[in-house]
Amino acid sequence: MLQIRKLNFAYGDLQVLWDVDLEVKQGEIVTVVGANGAGKSTILRNVSRLVRPASGSITFEGHELSHVPSHKVVEMGIVQVPEARRIFPEMTVTENLRMGSFVKATRKDRERNMERVFSLFPRLAERKSQLGGTMSGGEQQMLAIGRGLMGNPRVMLLDEPSLGLSPLLVRNIFEIIKEINRQGTTILLVEQNVYQSLRISHRAYVLETGRVVLSGPGAELLDNAHVKKAFLGI
Amino acid sequence: MDRRPLLSRAPRGFSVLGLVLFVAAIAALAVFPSFVKKPYVLHMGVVLFLAVIQGQAWNVVGGYAGQYSVGHAAFFGIGAYVTMMLLEVNKIAPWVGIWAAIAAAVLVSLVIGSITFRLRGPYFVLASISVAEIIRLATLHFKEFTRGAEGFLVSEIPTLKIGATEIEFFTKRPFYFAALGLAVLTIIANWIVQHSKLGYYFQAIREDQDAAHSLGINPAFYKNVALAISAAFTAAAGGFYAMFVKFIDPNTVFGLDISVQFVLICIIGGIGTILGPVIGAMVLVPLSEILRNPKGLVQLGIVSSDSGFVRFVEANLSNAHMLVYGILVVVVILFAPEGVLGVIRRLASRVRRRASSRGRTEPAATA
Repeated sequence: MLQIRKLNFAYGDLQVLWDVDLEVKQGEIVTVVGANGAGKSTILRNVSRLVRPASGSITFEGHELSHVPSHKVVEMGIVQVPEARRIFPEMTVTENLRMGSFVKATRKDRERNMERVFSLFPRLAERKSQLGGTMSGGEQQMLAIGRGLMGNPRVMLLDEPSLGLSPLLVRNIFEIIKEINRQGTTILLVEQNVYQSLRISHRAYVLETGRVVLSGPGAELLDNAHVKKAFLGI
Repeated sequence: MDRRPLLSRAPRGFSVLGLVLFVAAIAALAVFPSFVKKPYVLHMGVVLFLAVIQGQAWNVVGGYAGQYSVGHAAFFGIGAYVTMMLLEVNKIAPWVGIWAAIAAAVLVSLVIGSITFRLRGPYFVLASISVAEIIRLATLHFKEFTRGAEGFLVSEIPTLKIGATEIEFFTKRPFYFAALGLAVLTIIANWIVQHSKLGYYFQAIREDQDAAHSLGINPAFYKNVALAISAAFTAAAGGFYAMFVKFIDPNTVFGLDISVQFVLICIIGGIGTILGPVIGAMVLVPLSEILRNPKGLVQLGIVSSDSGFVRFVEANLSNAHMLVYGILVVVVILFAPEGVLGVIRRLASRVRRRASSRGRTEPAATA
């Protein structure tokens, strides 16, 4: 579905990604794990065309993305839930969600999608008219994911959804990601929380200083000696 | 994350009370010249309406879209110059010429926007200042075309015929009504923008451009739309100003102080709200007038001609109005970051809370 081949990317003279190969198949949860600064978010930024790669190709369902402007990527069905939540603080929960169906084709499904979001996150339903900025971190993350779902994503890019959340909420968010995937949305997840994210992923890639050093099924990687040593401290 | 305490959330929805008050205010202002005929009073009315138009125009791009332009003198001056030159050089009546002025300003805004909206935050502010300065200096330089520092003087505004009625622009009266009409129009336009989908997109970009981008909103495009709407009303204000004051030169319409004035009206009143620019104009216009021309108070009969206040202001503050502006802005930003309107809202909600808490505790006390 989403295919990244030999992706090289540099911020100025600093090369961040080296020949990254990555594939997301329909219906999967694929996770990219790695330490701070490994280049995880940069991969997502390349997919959503916020930055331009030095070389390599990114294709979505056979379409090359290199000439697609970033706001059109969303129309193709690639929706990114940005890092650190980025909800609109001065808008209510409902208004934030409505903003999620900006793309014309998704507006007719607005009511249905909103119901779906409220059934996934009953907490948001209780807080429909609360201002986004006054909610807790966990609720804001739910809102950010919910807002992403409003855009009918075929593949959803999640950038560190566990950032700054309590362990209990982290578990909760990952359960919901699993549920969203079960309902048919393909997911590309970028995470520092290696244990929780590998647990729910079908496949995963381990990124170290811009290079893919390991890949395979999530459960397998959890047992991998290198992963255990580098990330889990076992 | 970029949080902006300067912005207050505008109330949504439609208020019947608000509409009634709005219509009543327009009606009162419309019959006002029938009772008060002093030219000085009507003159001040026009200056006030002009400030409202300027504030509302800036509000679209600065308030809703959150792009703090400090270069609105560019559009104001283009409006003034195009209207003026079409009248003086081509003998085209200002109510026709002003449309050309608006078109020119929108065109320029799209050019400026597509270049400067690649920049964010302080960089956009600086770019907007320099664009206005470039236009000012160009107007000074290309003398054959613009007459440079000499400027333009209105020789005669033709008579406007609407059906059988003829309107002569000799007195302040027709200007008063034209300015009132234009002010009402910009307020309505702002209301429509605020309550439309477009307004939501603008506010989304203001609150978090990256998040808006991630939802498929093209920030550069919508910022350009906001700037173009703003430029259109600003140019209308500029064209009107040229006809009203009857003389323009590059420094009076393209100057940095004009750009600053646009921003001040909104900051003092309350950015991103409908009432904010109105209140800002109501604070700023009388204040600057009293400082610049304290004898105006004597003309209005508010103080006597030998008043100590007038003598004090004349002797000590007559050249200090910019200083007082500056102090005012510092005070507003420190103590009332949401502007005068924000202070009023805060007080109102405090009164309401106190009233409702009293309503709740009293029955308990008697029980």
